[in-house]
Amino acid sequence: MKAVVVNFQRLGRARQWNISTIVLTVMIALTILIGTLVNSHFASWGNLSNILEQAAGLGFASIGQTLTILTGGIDLSIGMIISASTVFLAATVDGRDSLVWPMVIATLAMGTSIGIINGVVISRLKVHPLIVTLGMAAILEGCILLFTLKPTGSIPFWFEEFAWGRLNGIPIAALSMFVAFIGVALFLSRTGLGRSLYAYGDNIEAARLRGIPVNRVCVFVYATSGFFAALAGVYFVSRTGIGDPRIGVPFTLTSITPVIVGGTLLSGGKGGVIGTLFGVLLLSLIGNVLNHMNVSTSIQWVIQGLIILAAVSFYLRKGDK
Amino acid sequence: MKLSKLFSITCIKVFFLCGALAFSAGTHADSASYTGQSRTFLWNPDFNDIVDTSQYKKDPPYVVGFSNAGVADGWLVTFKHGVEWAAAENRERIEKFIITDANWDADKQIRDIQDLLNQDIDILLVNPVTLEALDPVLRRTMRSDVPVVSVVRRVKSDEAFVSFVTASDTALARLSAQWMVETLGGSGKIVLLPGQAGASPAEFRLRAAKEVFGQYPDIEILSVQYTDWSPAKGKEVMATLIQAHGGEIDGVWADSGLQGSGSVEAFINAGVSGKDIPPHTGGDLNYMYQLAHEHGFPFCGIDYTAAIGIDGVRIALDVLEGEQVPTRFDLNFQVVIPEGHETTSIKADVWLRDYVRLDKPGELIMGHGLGEDYDPQTFTANYPR
Repeated sequence: MKAVVVNFQRLGRARQWNISTIVLTVMIALTILIGTLVNSHFASWGNLSNILEQAAGLGFASIGQTLTILTGGIDLSIGMIISASTVFLAATVDGRDSLVWPMVIATLAMGTSIGIINGVVISRLKVHPLIVTLGMAAILEGCILLFTLKPTGSIPFWFEEFAWGRLNGIPIAALSMFVAFIGVALFLSRTGLGRSLYAYGDNIEAARLRGIPVNRVCVFVYATSGFFAALAGVYFVSRTGIGDPRIGVPFTLTSITPVIVGGTLLSGGKGGVIGTLFGVLLLSLIGNVLNHMNVSTSIQWVIQGLIILAAVSFYLRKGDK
Repeated sequence: MKLSKLFSITCIKVFFLCGALAFSAGTHADSASYTGQSRTFLWNPDFNDIVDTSQYKKDPPYVVGFSNAGVADGWLVTFKHGVEWAAAENRERIEKFIITDANWDADKQIRDIQDLLNQDIDILLVNPVTLEALDPVLRRTMRSDVPVVSVVRRVKSDEAFVSFVTASDTALARLSAQWMVETLGGSGKIVLLPGQAGASPAEFRLRAAKEVFGQYPDIEILSVQYTDWSPAKGKEVMATLIQAHGGEIDGVWADSGLQGSGSVEAFINAGVSGKDIPPHTGGDLNYMYQLAHEHGFPFCGIDYTAAIGIDGVRIALDVLEGEQVPTRFDLNFQVVIPEGHETTSIKADVWLRDYVRLDKPGELIMGHGLGEDYDPQTFTANYPR
């Protein structure tokens, strides 16, 4: 009986994934069609590679957010982890070649450590993730502003290649993003720990009763979220050449958008990173098309908001809460 | 001998070119009394290079891209209106004028610039979100043979733009800070109200003002509070400071009347009025001038002229026509002081009573260069889109 229930759940997940992927594929195709019709410059390899390159920051940030939302949580500290990572990396490197790789590793470790703290507080103290990560964001913001009020530090020019470079015409940042998405997708579908994230998000008590170490899963999820936020920070240092205390601010909320649009339910237990990847690509495409249509930023926000509402309504109509 | 002759000829060319630029800037000033050469150019101890832009020369009509940092306050709205007005005025030379707004997000501004470049723009006019973060993308833009004209804020590298159009933040701050010091007789407790933390105009002005105050050991800075150039935040911050320091505040240095007007309102709400309001600085906003005129407190207003957008477009078109342009173009400004409040070092270019517009709404940004009938609420410009 239990096996039958699990099979139904898997079937449900697969159907959900397929529907959201099909819808997103159609929307992406429509957006490309509109872009091609409204501006002759849109349909070029140069523009497509720009879109992929531009998507990388949001892509990295939303991988971690997908995992937290899959477990029924949320990470509102992502934006500030990005900012802290850029400031830490650029300020410590400060133009010195020899420090780049050690400090990149240290930055990723710092982001992961912040995530571990989030996960430990959430799992041990049973405080809602929204409150814990919001508190962490406030702490990080205060620490960053105590350290610097304005952009700081620098990196050697060669490190800009991570964000700006091309490999056979394909942006290195976009390739890295695709590798990260595929890696996490395989992890979620092929490993026990990955599958346990769905069980955790479905029903934490049931997962505990099935012997899943829920506290460790929780710590792992927020640590991963911190890691990818720090990776986004590394990307932004490469892209701007500086540690900017404000650059992560928009990502606190925008990292959630592709997750919702990609079909991962805010209540947890259903969704995945491939849907998020499609969401990231769709949002980047829409931003690019609207820029090519000379549409103001305010209207771009309205359209983004409408897309979120449409996505949530669509998934609710499918019977999921 | 030949070298010195060449140097002399270059200096003469620089002087006349900048003089011509300053004159054209002066022609769209509103009620300016100082119409001479920009003093920040004349007094600048460094040399200002003139750029040969013949490599960028193209036949019109042009496709111009304008990447704006954002529109977060009245000054920025008026600045953008100036850009749009200048684009409309030059519509016979412009095929398309594309405007993007980054909403103060450096990452979005980088994306905006990439999208503009993809639309084959002939020149990029940019108001960068920050001094530093736009450096890589603007260096790449210049390397792709699309010239960049930076307006309001510059970026770090000299090779990231052809020309930088500005009204000097440092001059504005030093002059108003010096006026404050001399008005207080070199001794007193003051509060500093800069604009937005991290924004280069705010940081430059604050640093320049501190340079001045630092030379006077009897000037004590009670507090430095960022205000985001918001009248509401200026009022809120000052209300708190009045509670904390009471009658100890001898002067308020604000880098703009946007937050300065909020500070004056906080004093009025606290029961301090008329000439008992401590000396204030801060230009730009007509309401600040109206408050100073009505209450008669010691005041020094210097506008960071919003007409800077008009000159940004003009310089951009000059570049595309292969004209020589300066690497840095300083707009003029007016020092506005009420009669009886000049100091040893700081004299008025125009008296407050002659400058304030009592017939215009308080939210009007002064020095807009958009003509007598300009109204930010109803302004529209028919520029080529």
